Amino acid sequence: MMKWAKKDLEQFVKEKEYIDTLFIPLIPIHTSIDEKMTGSGFQAELTNLFSRIIEEQFRGRIVLAPDYYYIAGNAEAEVDRVNNWIDSFTEKPFSYVFLFSFDRNWRKSESDLRGELLWFPGLRHGDLQSTETQSFVKEQAKEIVEIIKESWQT
Amino acid sequence: MSEPKKVSRRQFLNYTLTGLGGFMAAGMMAPMVRFAIDPVFKPAAAGDFHSVADVKEVTNEPQRFEWEVEQVDAWYESTIQKTAWVYRKEDDEIIALSPICTHLGCTVDWASNEEYPKQFFCPCHGGRYTKDGVNVPGTPPTAPLPVFETKVEDGMLYLGEEIAR
Ligand code: FES
Repeated sequence: MMKWAKKDLEQFVKEKEYIDTLFIPLIPIHTSIDEKMTGSGFQAELTNLFSRIIEEQFRGRIVLAPDYYYIAGNAEAEVDRVNNWIDSFTEKPFSYVFLFSFDRNWRKSESDLRGELLWFPGLRHGDLQSTETQSFVKEQAKEIVEIIKESWQT
Repeated sequence: MSEPKKVSRRQFLNYTLTGLGGFMAAGMMAPMVRFAIDPVFKPAAAGDFHSVADVKEVTNEPQRFEWEVEQVDAWYESTIQKTAWVYRKEDDEIIALSPICTHLGCTVDWASNEEYPKQFFCPCHGGRYTKDGVNVPGTPPTAPLPVFETKVEDGMLYLGEEIAR
C-alpha cells in the first residue's frame, strides 16, 4: 500500500480510482510503568513490521495512514477521534477501512468504529530479529492478507 | 579494466562517521571526497547477484523464493526483502519473474484465482499474466512482469538485476 509520503501520495492522487482502501495502525503507548513502556515499544515495532508487509502486498490499492498513537488504557475514548480520521477523507471516501491493532480494548468498541477492526493478540515481549518472532509475523500477516482479499471479493 | 577495490558498507560507514568532523571543517574538500566515494557504491549495486535457491528446488511449477538485499539511500541503510517467482521451462531454462504487478505495484500470486489456474493473478484489480509473465490484454497491467537475470553456479541459482520488458 502507499505510505504517507510525498512520492506515494502523488501516485495516490493520480490513481485514486484504483485506490479504495485505507489502513490505519492503532498503536497504544504505555508511559507510566517501566515494564509496560518497553513492552509497548515492542508492540509498536511489531505493528510497523505488519504495516510494511501489507504495504508490499497491496501498494496499488491501499493507502497506509500515519500511525495513530494514543495513551494506552482508554481505547473507548479514542473512538470519535479515529472515526474523525476516517471521515476526514471527504474528497473520495474509501470503500474499505481497516484498523489494525494489538490492543484488545478496541474489541469493546468494535461496533462503533467506522472501519473493520483487525485485532490480533500480539507478542508481549520478544526480539524482532528472532526466528520465533519472524514466523509469528509471517503467519499473522498471511491471515491479514487473506482477510483483506476476502473483503474485496464480497 | 580492473575492478575498483570494493569497500564494504560497514567499512564505508565507519569512514564517514569518523570522518564527519573532517567533512564539516573542510567544506572545500567535500566535493572531492564525494567524487571519491561515489564509485564505491555503484559497482556493488549494479551486476550484483544473490544466491537464492538450490537449483534442484526449481520445478516446472512457479515457486516463490525470497532473499534479502542491503539498500542504502541518502539517510538510511536498510535490509529489504526481495521475492521472485521461479520455474524451469520445458527446455530447462530457468525463469525468474518479479512479483510486482506492473499496474500499480501489488504483489501477484501464481494460480491464486480458481478461474485462472495457469496464470499469475493480482489481487488488487484483477491483473493477470501468463506463465511467461506476459500481461493478459484487457486486464489493467500494460506491461509484462520484469525478469531477473539468472546464473547458476555450483548448483546454486543466483539472481541479479530486474529487467523491465
Ligand atoms: S496493481 Fe495489479 S492489477 Fe492493479
